[in-house]
Amino acid sequence: MPGWLASGLVYASGLALTSGGITFLYITTRTFNFAHASMATFGFYVVYTFVALKGGNPYIYFPLAFLFGSLLGIIVYFILNRPLLKRKANEITLMMSTLGYDLILLSLIQMYCDYLTHTYKLYPRRVTMSVYDIQIGGMNASTYFAPITAVLIITALSLFLTRTKFGIAMRATIENTPLSEASGINSDKVYMTSWVIGGGMASLGGAVLAMATTGSPVLGMNLIANMFAGAILGGLYSIYGGLFGGFVVGLAEYAIVYWLAESVGTWVLGYRLAIPLLIMVVTLLFFPRGLAGIQWRRIFKSLSSKKGEAS
Amino acid sequence: MKKIFKFLLRRDVLIALLVVIAFLFILLSSGFSLVSSILIDASIFTIITLSLNLETGLTGVPQFGRVIAIIAGAFAVGAIPGRIMALFMHLPAGAEYANDSVNYKVVPVINKLLETSPALSILVLIMSLVIAAIFGAIMGWITSRPAIRLKEAYLGISLLAIGDFLMWVGHNWEPLVGGTTAVFVPDPLRAFGVNRMLMALIMTVVLAVLAYIILEKLTWSPFGRTLKMHRDSDLAMSVYGKDKVKVRTRSLVIGAALAAVAGGAYVIYTGTCTAISFTRLNWTFWPWAYMMLGGIGSNTGVLLGVLALAIARSMIVIYRGAVFGFLMAWGIDPIWLEYTLLGAVIIIIILFLPQGLVPERTETILPPDRVKRIYEKIIKRE
Repeated sequence: MPGWLASGLVYASGLALTSGGITFLYITTRTFNFAHASMATFGFYVVYTFVALKGGNPYIYFPLAFLFGSLLGIIVYFILNRPLLKRKANEITLMMSTLGYDLILLSLIQMYCDYLTHTYKLYPRRVTMSVYDIQIGGMNASTYFAPITAVLIITALSLFLTRTKFGIAMRATIENTPLSEASGINSDKVYMTSWVIGGGMASLGGAVLAMATTGSPVLGMNLIANMFAGAILGGLYSIYGGLFGGFVVGLAEYAIVYWLAESVGTWVLGYRLAIPLLIMVVTLLFFPRGLAGIQWRRIFKSLSSKKGEAS
Repeated sequence: MKKIFKFLLRRDVLIALLVVIAFLFILLSSGFSLVSSILIDASIFTIITLSLNLETGLTGVPQFGRVIAIIAGAFAVGAIPGRIMALFMHLPAGAEYANDSVNYKVVPVINKLLETSPALSILVLIMSLVIAAIFGAIMGWITSRPAIRLKEAYLGISLLAIGDFLMWVGHNWEPLVGGTTAVFVPDPLRAFGVNRMLMALIMTVVLAVLAYIILEKLTWSPFGRTLKMHRDSDLAMSVYGKDKVKVRTRSLVIGAALAAVAGGAYVIYTGTCTAISFTRLNWTFWPWAYMMLGGIGSNTGVLLGVLALAIARSMIVIYRGAVFGFLMAWGIDPIWLEYTLLGAVIIIIILFLPQGLVPERTETILPPDRVKRIYEKIIKRE
């Protein structure tokens, strides 16, 4: 496997998880979660702290990152999101409130970095997580584990949403909140669960992203535009769309930048943010409902019927 | 007497008094240079926040890309006036101008010329700000294109991404403003025989006052009323025959030109233009916090919000050792509390004070005393 594809897969899996989280929170609570940035960074620092201080490979601490993200999600839900949802605040207010939370988290992250530097003599502001990685078959294990983590999360989520009673209640709330409340579903619980899952996915995604990029206090902040691009490409209406959108944006970024750096020159590396931006613009202009909004079945049908006519 | 008492109890007057007292306190405890640097920063951010208020508070466009126009102004002032001067003085003015090994030799030569001639300095200053405004207006027009199609959160995110991208372009494309190294900007503030800082203070305060007057006039003009109508219901505005696209475009172009002037003034004040310093955190999110604290839609509120928060911000820096020294025991730099303050202000305002410190003045259809007279008439009749 070429080098760019290996790290591209890791990066894309991380973006898939974070974009999926953003989409999930948007369809349940109408909140564009800016705090995803710092939640992702926190996920990375949870894993980093344990790996640097306790040793072992990073993957055994991934569940801890998920739990920590869930905790951050529950906090923001009870302090901010719940009162605002009750007040029926508009989308911009909801978005701004998560931005405030994000900035507080960012300051905490920066202070935590200072603390790590001072107390444990670590260098937490520029971390290459891949040095802690284990090797499987001559490759970094993250190449396998990152996509596996993403697939595991998708599977667990789809089982939860389709096979459990609470998952079905959740889908009902997403579909039509007043009606589901009328039939006795506690929407408060649904929102809380969505913050648990969304926050967990953010932190887990951050931990995965750090395996492919340089870990720093602004890891999430620098990538938030890419996460949003993934969510928009996915269409913001379907959680699988979000996951898939993030994956496509991440892989496209790596593939196109690699190809351009080979053919044009390495100076293109500085403009890599252009790719998610372009994807976002094209999506919003030509298919604003995203990948999930395209009627794939109809396209396949028309394609196959045309083939039939030709033969 | 009663009137004076009532006036003093008004919210905006109270806050203005508090701001003045805080400034006096800093003046007495830390000297004039600190006060003037706070005032310069506050003036620049006043212009930016007023322009944000025009676009978001009055027009209702979620401008999460305020930094776009600021970058346009700052980069234009960083790249163009120096080149024009160099061209006239037969110095390298092409792509190599922004190269750090050339730039640090060229700009001092230009500055030496500027130092000798106040008239030329004023000309360069005005030219720089006009260039900034023009590029800002162009950028505003470009960003108004997605603003016509998209709504709310989608638009905010697109603008945010564009701003990030522009910053990286400046950081990577050396011929523009020096890429990773800062480019020096010709300094028109030295020629007047007084302290450069004082000139910068005068320039920024004059610009801020002008921006305030322009926007205050604009808010209470028919155009301002159209903007508010667009914010409250763009459908109703269309019904009354106003073109939605035109209104949004105009508002965004005016706002961007103003913000670009602020960006240009900032670059002139600091004397250098560093692409990487134009982050969305400092140039989009801080203005949002200022605006929300002051009161969305209220120009006076924005002014007071900027001053109050600017003081709070610098208080953290001044008293980082004295008040937050306990953090240093764990090796934590109290400077990060600035972010905490920013986040906390946004959250507290949203939760407890959604209208801000000075709420937007509501406009009655008739003058208030006439409404009162009509009301009394009705009471009498009954």
